[in-house]
Amino acid sequence: MDILAEASMRAIKDAKAEKKDFDAVYVANMFAGETMKQTAVASSLADRISLFPAAAERLENGPAAGGSALKNAYLAVASGAYDLVLVAGGEKMTTADTDVVTDLVATMTHPTAEYIHGVTLPAMGGMLTRLYMERYGLTERHLAMVAVKNHANAAKNPYAHIQRTCTIEGAMNSGMIADPLRLYYVCPISDGSAAVVLCSMEKAKEFTSKPVRIAGFGHATDIQAIQEREDPAVLKSVQLASKQAFKRAGMTPKDIDVAELHDAFEILEIVESEDIGFFEKGKAHLAVEKGATSLTGEIPINTSGGLKARGHAVGATGMAQVVELVWQLRGECGERQVKDAKRALACNFGGFGNNTVIHIFERGW
Amino acid sequence: MEKFVAYRCKVCGQLMSVKHDRCIKCKATADQFEEFELPKTGSLVTYTKLYALPEGIEMPPLALGVVDFGGVRVLGQLVTDDPKVGMKLKPVWGKLRMLRGKEIFGFKFEPAS
Repeated sequence: MDILAEASMRAIKDAKAEKKDFDAVYVANMFAGETMKQTAVASSLADRISLFPAAAERLENGPAAGGSALKNAYLAVASGAYDLVLVAGGEKMTTADTDVVTDLVATMTHPTAEYIHGVTLPAMGGMLTRLYMERYGLTERHLAMVAVKNHANAAKNPYAHIQRTCTIEGAMNSGMIADPLRLYYVCPISDGSAAVVLCSMEKAKEFTSKPVRIAGFGHATDIQAIQEREDPAVLKSVQLASKQAFKRAGMTPKDIDVAELHDAFEILEIVESEDIGFFEKGKAHLAVEKGATSLTGEIPINTSGGLKARGHAVGATGMAQVVELVWQLRGECGERQVKDAKRALACNFGGFGNNTVIHIFERGW
Repeated sequence: MEKFVAYRCKVCGQLMSVKHDRCIKCKATADQFEEFELPKTGSLVTYTKLYALPEGIEMPPLALGVVDFGGVRVLGQLVTDDPKVGMKLKPVWGKLRMLRGKEIFGFKFEPAS
């Protein structure tokens, strides 16, 4: 609750909305009931920061909870039902042992086709990586390149969990987690929170001269068990959700200046960047070689450090992506600022790519 | 003897390794599915060797893989120290792990020759 309240208060202060009445608060969280022995966290947040009588609810959608909370808040404002809404995401994971957390996360896999066999999310990441190696010529060095980039970005982010750079050799010599995935190609277990204030564009002008607009969202599911998907190397829900989002925003992948992708494993940054349409299928690792996704590349990805180094506090992750992109569009990212970023995309997913929420943002000034 | 089966939608022909209440392709209801026995051998599509083990599995690494049995892909544990993509595997019934104090059984896959 401390970290949820802290991020919420900062967002309210940033929006200069301290004296305003909020209609609702949406809280993204995956398993506070298990790690903190605290349920109904949204009611508790409303109490802690005196938001009452605002409507309060918690959204659990696996690690896509953040994106889901923002989408539902957006729909509520767009429908005209609510004028002013707070969206917060938070997760405390380090209170539980690593094997307990890994198991909690694994419970979102298919109960009989995956979970009982001992499948964990890193195992899924390992199997997808091997498919890519066999089919597209991806090598371990490419994964290390993504990790090095994300750690370098996180080193410039005072909010990141791991503010340290790493080297290709260091990454390639780290311990094996889920062959071929080593420690440096897997996200850490993090605590974290993030929040934003949402209202109509018209109302936003009362608060700020630099409002960020949600230009479009997309949300799609896919078959849960990877082995049953038409092609296990394709994240179809990412493809469909981004298509919807681009259509709603009236944009194409070429219009995006900066993106935060869901790199719980470094392979996912590569695959998502293809399935969103930044790169051709099977070619993203070649773009990574050329630095296309670095801060000065054609499409900078995970300027925050991504899940890999900013951290992956599961329920908070989708909102942490949003906050990073808001700062990018407002030009407040300091050393990790992407020059003149005008349009941004966030890809947040739950399960192993079977529930994806995409948002596209643009400057509203 | 446990049977190693999958499901076929009689309406559109879609094959499914996992039980659904409606067809993953045409949405026909499960009363229009037929169960059928899978081929005796399949080939390994992808795998991992897991060193960070889940509860109830003792010895790392745990090899897990996706195996293709005549167009139906099934996921499971691999009973081999040296998995290779494309290798031929056959299903064997056995204990998978302990989970919340209970023994869990299911099919796993071992080299066919």
